[in-house]
Amino acid sequence: MNFWKPMLVAVSATLIAPLTSAKAEDATAVTIVLPAGPDRLDPCETPRSVIGRIIKQNVVETLVELDYTNRTTLPRLAESWEQTAPTEWVFKLRQGVTFHDGTPFDAKAVIHSLERTNDPALTCITRTKYLDGTDVKATEIDAHTVKFTTKTAVPILPTLLAQLAISSVNTPKGEYTATPIGTGPYKFDHWTQGENVVLIRSDAYWGNKPLIDKATYVWRSESSVAAAMVETGEADLAFSIAPQDAINPETDKVYPNSDSALFRLSVDIPPLNDVRVRKAINLAIDRQAFLGSIISDKAELAMQQVGPSVLGFNANLKPWPYDPEQAKALLAQAKADGVDVDREIRMIGRPAMFANSNEFVEAAAEMLRSVGFTIKLDNLEMSQWLKMANKPFAEDRQPNVFLTMHDNNSGDAAFTAFFKYHSNGRQSELHDADLDALIVDAGTQAGAKRAEEYNEVFRRIYEDIVADVPLFHMVNYMRVGKRLDFTPTIANAVELQLAKLKLN
Amino acid sequence: MGSFIFKRSLQSVFSLVVLIILVFFLARMTGSPADLYLPQDASLEVRNQFNEQLGFNDPLYVQFGRFFWGLLHFDMGQSLQFSRPAVEVVLQAFPTTLTLAAITMPLVLLLSIVTGSLAAFRPGGVFDRLASFISLIGASTPNFWVAIVGVLVFAVTLRVLPTSGTGTPLHWVLPVAVLMLRPTGVLVQVVRTSMMTALSSAYIKTARAKGVGSRAIVFVHALRNGLLPVITVASDQAAGIVNGAVIVETVFGFPGIGKLMIDSVMLRDFAVIQAAVLVTALAVFIINIIVDITYALVDPRIRYS
Repeated sequence: MNFWKPMLVAVSATLIAPLTSAKAEDATAVTIVLPAGPDRLDPCETPRSVIGRIIKQNVVETLVELDYTNRTTLPRLAESWEQTAPTEWVFKLRQGVTFHDGTPFDAKAVIHSLERTNDPALTCITRTKYLDGTDVKATEIDAHTVKFTTKTAVPILPTLLAQLAISSVNTPKGEYTATPIGTGPYKFDHWTQGENVVLIRSDAYWGNKPLIDKATYVWRSESSVAAAMVETGEADLAFSIAPQDAINPETDKVYPNSDSALFRLSVDIPPLNDVRVRKAINLAIDRQAFLGSIISDKAELAMQQVGPSVLGFNANLKPWPYDPEQAKALLAQAKADGVDVDREIRMIGRPAMFANSNEFVEAAAEMLRSVGFTIKLDNLEMSQWLKMANKPFAEDRQPNVFLTMHDNNSGDAAFTAFFKYHSNGRQSELHDADLDALIVDAGTQAGAKRAEEYNEVFRRIYEDIVADVPLFHMVNYMRVGKRLDFTPTIANAVELQLAKLKLN
Repeated sequence: MGSFIFKRSLQSVFSLVVLIILVFFLARMTGSPADLYLPQDASLEVRNQFNEQLGFNDPLYVQFGRFFWGLLHFDMGQSLQFSRPAVEVVLQAFPTTLTLAAITMPLVLLLSIVTGSLAAFRPGGVFDRLASFISLIGASTPNFWVAIVGVLVFAVTLRVLPTSGTGTPLHWVLPVAVLMLRPTGVLVQVVRTSMMTALSSAYIKTARAKGVGSRAIVFVHALRNGLLPVITVASDQAAGIVNGAVIVETVFGFPGIGKLMIDSVMLRDFAVIQAAVLVTALAVFIINIIVDITYALVDPRIRYS
């Protein structure tokens, strides 16, 4: 080693010299490691984290910004807004803002962005996940005032518009773009497929001038390599590293990722159609034992399918205790009443749904077996898993305990309640008329009343129906290099505002 | 030789067509891309729209006809994930893999031929034992593990190499070293065995009796005869690398075809799967032709007329 190390250092110094000197010259440039690279950089796809983490609020901005901490909305490209009729909203736009291509930010740009997003020729996620069904249209009142109209009353239109990225009128309609043109503090510079995306600071930005002048995004799917890149100074921030690589408390910071894991129960199929059996499953899983072992100790026990940052989250629900004896007693009662509790139940998992998810289902299956359930464990590949997750459900399917992970980073429970629990919801096992009515009504309410009704929706699902087995609100680990002063939050599940980065 | 290459090309075209047909139908048996590309809560209307636009609502034979017609016009379709022509996506990734293979294979051949030959020269000697031991470890150690340990040792602890990525020659050191490990391990064993057989032949004994030097016996007389099985195994290993050094590409963030293929299978990006299979199959076909020609050059008894 005495001989080889200096030799290797000398050779490296010669070969790597251009790289390091370039880095040293640019003290306000950052390199960010993502777990996966983008497939396109289209403004209408920013709700997808693989795209949003690069361009949302950096290159392209939204009219409205979500404040996850206070569960509310903040002005961004819109200065103010008001609901002028149940199906009408008027937004006042910020003046003096220009796009990176020099065109002005005005009502025409907003209309263009909405029309482009709603174009059926594209499957923009902003439309398919958020705007679909609202039939939202925009019309110009004057150059800096836009009126939005919807088919029916949409009390959370500002929340929905927090997903609509505004791009220049020169962004082509009917085709995806790989060169986003926005109004943000950073301009898109270039994208080398499979290697990197580079953004540079826009000197014409309407807001405060950010400190960082250049950001290079690279991607490594192997978590230990991403972590090593930050440790060696090759990168400044690694978005998502595995819990086993997060070993340095100084650099490795945990943040909620807005994912909630749970087991959905096929409540119509015996023996799971008996509420005692469903309660027994909840009592038989020792959730606490997973925390700090195969699930991060920073994850939180879940009582519902949305996290605390979502309007409608019910903070009054109490976690199920781990009580295998009570579980056995409930099963015995059910058996005595003729319920076939010995029938085989399929537990369905999906490899890599979250870190250690395979180990998790193995252990959970064993916990259920230990109180008397007959469990057959299957780990399905994504496409097979989706087939089972979505309606129409197979007619001859077995009773099942189905592992899912739901991601609600929209800030509102509407995106969970209908889809997961309404009779017409694509992934709903329930058909409870009262619950359906409550879900629909909650969707038409605003403010405190809305939160109150969604609270009741989640209470009924959890306490009265016992529709599922809520497990954990999950977390991610971010490695932040020593050069940066940054603490991640739940917003970083889908975006990272470069303008908020500070240097130490 | 010309007619041989022509005949082989015809056979290969037939194999390629069968392969393409198989890949087309097998890929479509794995499920609809709509579930993977649209949000899980997307409406039925949006799903239908998606399938309609991309032609997935048409019967399979109609889809195949469209694909085959496109193929005849050198059009492999659009990539679902990248919204660009699939061929363009594949051809952008292929040079990285080819470069990896082009650097790795000559080094593998050089190292394994020299090591295997020297090991065979004194079977059972210290060098032979050491070479056999190390080559067995090389052939049997998982690439994935070696790659991660390589990053930890050379990039994180010693700080003499970059962790991953491309850019400078140093970025290629770890990936190439990891990629060399298995083929070198296998080939050292093959060279050693093949050379031991060659070295025990009567003509070698004659050469020794005539006083020919050891170096000339090993590297001139025995090696040429011992090379035939080595060429066969080496071509197999090279084809493996051209098919995609998936693990190396994944760990080191190399934008090669192996990772592209895996990602495309996971995302049901049919056009890219088909284009990638076609391009790599063509490359393997070319490697096989080169191997056949090399056989003829190495062994004068082989003639393809």
